[in-house]
Amino acid sequence: MKKPSQRWIKDPRTGLVRPRGLVPGARGGPLPAARPLAGTRRGFLRGVVRGSLVTLALPWLEIFAGRRARADTCDNGLPKRLVVWFWGNGNRPASWTPTGEGDSWTLSEELAPLAAFQDRLTVCSGYSVKVDNISPHWSGAAGLLTGQQIEGDDDDWTMASPTIDQVVADAIGGETAYASMQVGVQTDEVLSYAGPNAPNYGETDPTNLYQRLFGDGFREPGTDTEPDPKLGYRRRVLDAVMEDVRSLQSELGAADRIRLEQHLEGVAALEDRLRKLQEDPPDLASCVRADAPAESYPDVDGRPQIQAIHAAMSQLVAMSLACDQTRVVTLQITRPLNSTLFPSASDGHHALTHNEGGDQPEVNGITTYLMSCFADFLGALDAVPEGDGTLLDNTIVLACSETSEGRTHSLDEMPILLAGGGCGSLVTGRHVRSYTSENVGKIMVSVLRAMDVNVASWGAGESEVDEGVTELEGL
Amino acid sequence: MPAAPLLRRLTEAQYANTVQDLLGDDIVLPASLEPDAEEAGLLSVGAATASVSSLGIERYEDAALLLADQVADQPDRFAAVVPCTPATADDTVCADTFVRTFGRRAWRRPLTDTEAARLASVVTLTGGESGSFTEGVRYGVAAVLQSPHFLYRREHGTPDADDPATRLLDDWELATRLSYLLWATTPDDTLLDAAAAGELQTDAGLRAQVDRLLADDRAREGVRALFTELFELYELDDLAKDPTVYTHASDELGPAAREETLRVIEHLVFDADAPGSGSGDFRDLLTTQTTFVDPRLAALYRLSAPDPTGFGEVWLDDGDGRRGLLGQASTLMLTSHSTRTSATLRGVFIRKTLLCQTIPPPPADVDTSIPEADSTSPTLRDRLRTHLEDPTCASCHQLTDPIGLGLENFDGIGRWRDTENSVTIDASGDLEGTDFADAWALGAAVRDNDNLGPCFAAHLYRYAMGHAVDPGEEAVVDWIAEGFVGSGHDWQALLVDLVMSPAFRRAGALDE
Repeated sequence: MKKPSQRWIKDPRTGLVRPRGLVPGARGGPLPAARPLAGTRRGFLRGVVRGSLVTLALPWLEIFAGRRARADTCDNGLPKRLVVWFWGNGNRPASWTPTGEGDSWTLSEELAPLAAFQDRLTVCSGYSVKVDNISPHWSGAAGLLTGQQIEGDDDDWTMASPTIDQVVADAIGGETAYASMQVGVQTDEVLSYAGPNAPNYGETDPTNLYQRLFGDGFREPGTDTEPDPKLGYRRRVLDAVMEDVRSLQSELGAADRIRLEQHLEGVAALEDRLRKLQEDPPDLASCVRADAPAESYPDVDGRPQIQAIHAAMSQLVAMSLACDQTRVVTLQITRPLNSTLFPSASDGHHALTHNEGGDQPEVNGITTYLMSCFADFLGALDAVPEGDGTLLDNTIVLACSETSEGRTHSLDEMPILLAGGGCGSLVTGRHVRSYTSENVGKIMVSVLRAMDVNVASWGAGESEVDEGVTELEGL
Repeated sequence: MPAAPLLRRLTEAQYANTVQDLLGDDIVLPASLEPDAEEAGLLSVGAATASVSSLGIERYEDAALLLADQVADQPDRFAAVVPCTPATADDTVCADTFVRTFGRRAWRRPLTDTEAARLASVVTLTGGESGSFTEGVRYGVAAVLQSPHFLYRREHGTPDADDPATRLLDDWELATRLSYLLWATTPDDTLLDAAAAGELQTDAGLRAQVDRLLADDRAREGVRALFTELFELYELDDLAKDPTVYTHASDELGPAAREETLRVIEHLVFDADAPGSGSGDFRDLLTTQTTFVDPRLAALYRLSAPDPTGFGEVWLDDGDGRRGLLGQASTLMLTSHSTRTSATLRGVFIRKTLLCQTIPPPPADVDTSIPEADSTSPTLRDRLRTHLEDPTCASCHQLTDPIGLGLENFDGIGRWRDTENSVTIDASGDLEGTDFADAWALGAAVRDNDNLGPCFAAHLYRYAMGHAVDPGEEAVVDWIAEGFVGSGHDWQALLVDLVMSPAFRRAGALDE
């Protein structure tokens, strides 16, 4: 594969740096004529750091029509989805890594709750985040999800470039009501960034999420659309707001112009959602209004009901995907560095990872608990029939954490799970082992390709990679 | 040389205060907005940096519609916002009057003709289509409150003819900066009228408004907002404290602890019996024996509650061991873990937040565990020995742990204890050459540290300006800090000095 010698060119008219034209992607093939360049929807993959404009070292993505007629659709015509399922504070590799490899392997203690899904699950072990660990927890999170170091320092960090979910959303999110969706169980600080200092906060309240997705505005397939004048009034307001944003933008410096561009895009996306509500709902066989969650989930013994809240969120996310409200979701159960008091744990999670002695039975117990939650999520997807299989089959679920061994903030032996396979785009039912501490970014390349986001490379600097994991891609 | 001009999004607290001032204190506020982002230790700095997420945009719409509904559906509120009686459902004259009056208050400046026409057309078109002027107002209010002119504060000014490298804030921007600094809310009509008359551009006119604002009760809210950010007191809403370890812990304890700290600060700034402006010596925050407790905090502190239903003032006796900020549950809880104290976090708070010193972050890839308590190391001081003997750890932990151990008589939620695992706690140490025997004396050592006053002055500057101190601004920050020290650490005098300094009226060049 030949890489372009220079990725960025300066636009003489605007002075802004833009990506050079298309180059052949990693899978070769002719350049497409019709498919627009990624990032036309979100044209600001530059960012604002400490008030000044930076050019992102984003490996420019070359999108082209892949093997399929519609790149981001499964052969069965159903949409293909990506879910990043994240938990904080890592695992214990000694109790995590399966025995055996390839298609002959046995689940470990920490992974035991996933037994029902073993044939649709691939465990990747032995992979490393290749950025310097300058900020415990945050360097790992950034290295994993953006392929490069944080911008800033331990106290004031941000992602230096968009996270993988946003890269995918940028490519395939244009057709759905929400380009991407972020959901948090114990945190709204979801690791989804459109760019530096552009975090996408997560909805943490099940009732709020329900209202947003399945509240008054929701219509099941087949229902006739009653004209609602309020939608038109609201769109008129948003049109006025967008004009205000544009006129304010013209008075500002470069950094604030970009901030407002992100604001403008959010308003435009909202306006677009309202417009879609004025049309008939899409005809999707599995889409029904989700059941409303419980009104509240009170703590028990000072400990949050994580599994119950997560299960409620899982149901909503699954039905939202089935209704094609979005195709890209980040579902984050806990944040890096969290002090969550898990049921029956004697201390907060982070403190336990550092202070529990011996083989850390409590930390193991928490990881196992988290994996039962993950099994709940996979179960929620699997309960929705789609085509000849289930929603899970048409989804790629990437489960990961910002570190492996929490005690030392290790970035080797990163815990990575891939489930669902995205209608056969990724190989499942395997334990893929790296014996050479390969860059975890290779897995990200494979995930991006499986989502038909064809990348020449992923990451930047010390951790840049330009190839995927052959065993995952079934090549 | 001032820093480049900023566009500052209203923080959640500022948004709430602002809509209450615009629409009435009894307005029902939205349950959620885009969360504030912290940067450089302050939400106000994050508010000038972070972008709004698409969820945030949706929440701003929800919020605007919730507020607009209350205007449209409640006649008193409607009358307060719409100063005219429409002749028809699409009355253009009344629409124009409404958007210009409400727009000036909400956007903190007069509307341009283009802006007024844009908003008025929302009102008249919607009014005409629905056959109801009230419907038009509903969506007009929603448009005003979703506009970037409402959600962001522009501090750009125009180039200064005498000093082209800098920009002078216009009258409205200056009124807005002043109001959000001193009141944490939108300018009132008097301040906007002073801006309209150009009065803020003279020292006398600006000073008159500063004095007026400081004399108003909203100045208390302003001081509370600042210290809520600076001490991260908002974190007290959601602390994970294990109630099986700490029997006094509850969801209500954190907010009560925040209220205690804010009442003490308010008391020091506005009510302390001191000569001059009415402010006491602000360093007394570290040693004051006056505090405010509700029955919950009184139980935690083993005091008798001064008021059975709410907060009351109490005097902490010399023998109590507890006084000042470092003895308040807010500080002690925020610098502890779920089930244990942290001498490191407590030391970091004193060094970084109170003395503005730099502590390097912990290195990654090291085993940071400390031993479990046992008979050979019953107290935290014993268990932290590794931190202080291993040279890798000691380089930083020497800065933090010996100071933090001075607070070991307070457990992870701030309850007093004499012993840990039946061994008497040794809370002695030294802070930069000043020996202390216990928390009581540590508070005095911090109070008398020369860094304390200038550190607070720098925090206030960052909060007021919305960005970290630029190298070109160090001279002005030093000047303000010297004034603060010279005033006997009078907080109101510090606020006045900052506002009257040339930096407050200026911004640097735009970054093109």
